Parts: sequence; structure tokens; C-alpha cells
Amino acid sequence: MAVYKRNYSAYTGSVTSVGSRIFVVARYAFAEAWSSKITIGLFTVCLVPCLVFMFGIYLANNPLARSLIGAKGSQFIAIDASYFLRILQTQSWLALVLTSWVAPRLIGFDLADNALPILLSHPVSRFNYLLGKFLALAASLSVVTWIPCLLLFIYQGYSSDLPWVAANLRIAAGLIAGAAIWIGFLSLLGLALSSWVKWRVVATGAIFAAVFVPAGVGAIVSAVLRTRWGFLLNLPFMMSSLWPRMLGAPEFTIHTGRVLPTTAIVVMLALACMVCASMLNARIRAREVVRG
Amino acid sequence: MGIIDLDRLTVQLATRTVLSDLTGQLQGRAIGLLGPNGAGKSTLINTLLGFHRPVRGAARVFGLDCHRDSAQIRGGIGYMPENDSFIGNMSGVHFVRYMAELAGLPPEVALERAHEALFYVGLGEVRYRKVSTYSLGMKQLVKLAQALAHGPRLLILDEPTNGLDPVARQRMIQLIKDIREEGSIRLLISSHLLRDIDETCDEVLILKNGRIAALTNIEEERRSNRSFVELETVGATERFSASIRGLGCECASFPGGRIKLVIPDNIESRDLYTIASEQGVQIRRMNQRRDSLEDIFLRAMENGRERTAHGSL
Repeated sequence: MAVYKRNYSAYTGSVTSVGSRIFVVARYAFAEAWSSKITIGLFTVCLVPCLVFMFGIYLANNPLARSLIGAKGSQFIAIDASYFLRILQTQSWLALVLTSWVAPRLIGFDLADNALPILLSHPVSRFNYLLGKFLALAASLSVVTWIPCLLLFIYQGYSSDLPWVAANLRIAAGLIAGAAIWIGFLSLLGLALSSWVKWRVVATGAIFAAVFVPAGVGAIVSAVLRTRWGFLLNLPFMMSSLWPRMLGAPEFTIHTGRVLPTTAIVVMLALACMVCASMLNARIRAREVVRG
Repeated sequence: MGIIDLDRLTVQLATRTVLSDLTGQLQGRAIGLLGPNGAGKSTLINTLLGFHRPVRGAARVFGLDCHRDSAQIRGGIGYMPENDSFIGNMSGVHFVRYMAELAGLPPEVALERAHEALFYVGLGEVRYRKVSTYSLGMKQLVKLAQALAHGPRLLILDEPTNGLDPVARQRMIQLIKDIREEGSIRLLISSHLLRDIDETCDEVLILKNGRIAALTNIEEERRSNRSFVELETVGATERFSASIRGLGCECASFPGGRIKLVIPDNIESRDLYTIASEQGVQIRRMNQRRDSLEDIFLRAMENGRERTAHGSL
């Protein structure tokens, strides 16, 4: 039917499956996130360290290039678990910056315009809606975390003379798992805080605050009570302890004697995720909750 | 099976019972939902959409349970909420397409139907503008377009003429009438404005304090109601009254030459003028009316008050 014919006609064609609507939400959210020039700018900035690390791998595997810049010795740069740990850490903290910008865009527009009643009146559950937003954010963060990390790993495997890949598969697995934990946590945190803070700029600040303010509190608790458990509030510390264990790299915390058990870190992250999930559950509703 | 079946439906929000023991079958082509503020109209709509879980009883749309089969029901419903509800950062066509895709249309079909729906409601020329730049009337229309785009079986319109100027209101009413006449969509229209319901609906559910005050087929009610005539006369009023009683009219005279009549179907206004002329009585004013929706509504509210008074004794 031509669009200019102002007649209404019922739709009689096929419909997509209810499960696939998650990807509709994710697709539109992803498009919304990347429609901003600032997102593109941040993405570009996030990839700059990857170029530097790639250059490092190139130098480490190319004696001619090393000699051209005046570096001597075959162990100019050791491409090992520690090297990839540095890549993962750098990219992960840049992912926090990207989250603080992207997450409020995904939820903020819907809440600001009161779009939830209309969105959830369609055959999309609250869980599916949130899962769609989560997937969009996780996909956005993936392009600056585990995907470039894995590409660098593949590049190192390609450049290396030795059967390097087979001997270091744990690094690849650690990169993917370490980034996945971080992406999952950041996505939940970003969405939860964005759903509670009306203004997007404030939400951006709140995401940073949620990461660094408890870290300060945890440091004070640890110092005053002379206990290591205060560091369970310190997300940067926890992740800096967890990532080396996943990649098989030496931990810097071993030297300082403030080792946190892996189980405690995982439980703490799980608790934080549950808090975020309950925040989302309370906020993402088609209607205001009536109390009293 | 009606379009909407209510079976002792009781809904509580927190500790407050908002809908209490609603029972009835709604089967009109266009069903009006009337009631004063706080009567439970929006709660009933939200329950039909599966947003609220009944504490007792059930509500069914096309035979499907509103809570258990909410996804299936929502797929067949187009919902136009009362308040502003859209994604302002999207263009009109982008927004309607998104909603159509969420309702289950494949992307290409959703885009085509989004264009059609926007042209249908009269927003064809502004469909590439961001929704946030639309006027209030246009925002109402884009909400209607998104509710229509996926071809629902039931269209729920919550205060569709809210905030519209007279021209925009008339346009909205005409669109609703067109949709009703097209016949493939049933309508449930919630409104404070009796006139809107009167113009568009053939059945009305009146709520008061969370209970059904009346469930009426407006057309049948009108057909069964007799005509009332109010006259203002000058001259021999008593004799004139006696003569028209002789025609079979029920008649009551009041001071100042005012007469109220209930005239049978076989008597027409012309007969009254003929008798008046024969008796030299001047009819200065004649006001003929049938029971309006307003009468039905007021009667329902009155009955509700009586029921409440009896209940409290």
C-alpha cells in the first residue's frame, strides 16, 4: 500500500519470536549509544593505547626495527602475561570512562521521556528490556576491552617465531574472562546508577563515584582497623588482584602483603551485582510504585 | 466470550484496594471507560496490560488471562498512554518503527507500517522530525500511530483528547470513529470527557470507587429511553395540558406556563403545535431531549452513592 493512502489496514503477516525482541532493544540501544560524536571520540581514544601496545609487540618481534631505534637485546620488551595484564588493565579503566558516557544515554532518554509505559506495553518484559540494554552496553565495552586484547594476542602469536600461542593459551582465556567479569559488572553498575539519576551528567559522575568513593572508604577502614578486608570496598584493588590470577601474571599485592582471597573478591562482586539488579528492579517499571 | 471479561477482579496497590470485585463482559466495538478521578480507570487498563497482578479474580482479553498470558495479550494490544510517553531523541518514524518491531513486526515491515501509520494519523509531513519537537497534539497523534502500527486487535486509548485544542480534539475523535468503522480493531477508551465517549463509543463501563457503577450499551439505552419535552407556553396552559394528555402524553404543568412532557413514539412535535394553534396557545420555547450519556453517568453516580449510603448503615 502506498504510504500516502490514508487508510488503515490490519497487519496479517508473520511476527518475530518474543525472545528476539531482546535484540530489537539491544540494536536500538546500540544505535543510540553510537549516534553520539563523543562516543566515537572516546572509542578512538580507547584504541590509542592498543596501537602503542601493538607497536611494542612489533618491536619485540622485529630485531631490525629494534636496531633502528637503538634498542639492544632480544628481551627488549618481554611479551608475556604481565604485558597483556597491562593491556587489560589499561583498556578496562578506559572502559569505565566509556561506560560513564554510554550507560546514561541508554537508560536516561527512556526515563526522561517517560517511555517505559509505552515500551513495556509491548510484548517485552522488564527483564528482556534490561537484558537488551545490557547487551548493547556490553557490546560497546567489548570493542575496547577483550576484542582488541585478543587481537593483540593473535598478533603476538602471528609475529612470534616460537609456538607462542599454544604455550600461552591461558593468557587468552584470562583476557576474555577478566574482561567479561569487568564488562558485566560495569554494565550493571552503569545501568543501575543511570536508572536512578535523572540528569545524565550527574549519572556520569555517579558512576565514577561508585567506583572510587568506596575505595577511599575501604582504605580508611583498612588503615583504622588494621585489616585487609576493607579492601573489599576497593574495586580497583580487587580487580588488580583478580586479573593477574586469571592471566597467570605476578601480583603486585603480594609484595605489600595485602592479599585478598579470590573467593572473597568474587563474592563481593556478586553482592555488588545483586545490589545493582535490585536497584534496576525497583526503578524499571511501567508504573510508579504506590507505597502506603 | 467478550472482548474483555472481568471475573470478580480485585486489585490492590500496596495495601489499598483500587479495584474491587469487578465482574462483567465488555463486547462493544468501542467501549468507553468512565469514572471520576481515582475511580480505578487507569488501574484497570494497567491490569489488562499485565502491569498489576490481581489479588483475587481475573481479567481476560480475548479469552486470555491478563497476568498469565500478558506477553500474548500485549502483542495484540495497541496502547496509547495518558501522559507523555515517547523517546524524544528519535524521529517520529524511527520511534514508531521501534515500537512496531517490539510488537513483533520484522524490521522492513515495521518501517513500512510506521510510514503508513504516521500518514494515517496525519503526521506524514513531519515524520522525520524528532518527537521532542512535536506539539502536544502531534505527540498525542504519534502515540496513536505507534499503537496502530502493528495492527492490534484491541486499541486502548487512555485520555486520547487530553490537552488538545478543539480542532485537534475533533481530528482525534474523527480518527477514532474511522478506526471503529474500519471494524478490525476493538477500542477501549478511557476519558473524563463524557462528550468524547458519547461520540465514539457504543458501550460504557462506569467505575466509581473501584467498583462498577454501570455497564451499559449506550445505543440500547438510548433506544429504550423515551423523549422528554420541555415547553414554555403563554395562554391557556391548563386546557392545553389536558388536550395533550388526551393524546397519550404524560404531562406536568408548572407555574409560568412551563410544561414537561413525556411523549410516546407515535406522537410528534407537529401534533403539539397543531393543538396549541387550535387553542390559541403560544409555544415560546420547546426543548426536546433524550437521555444523554450525562444522564446515564449521573444516574450511575447517584446509584453508587445510594449503595454506599446503604452499605454504611
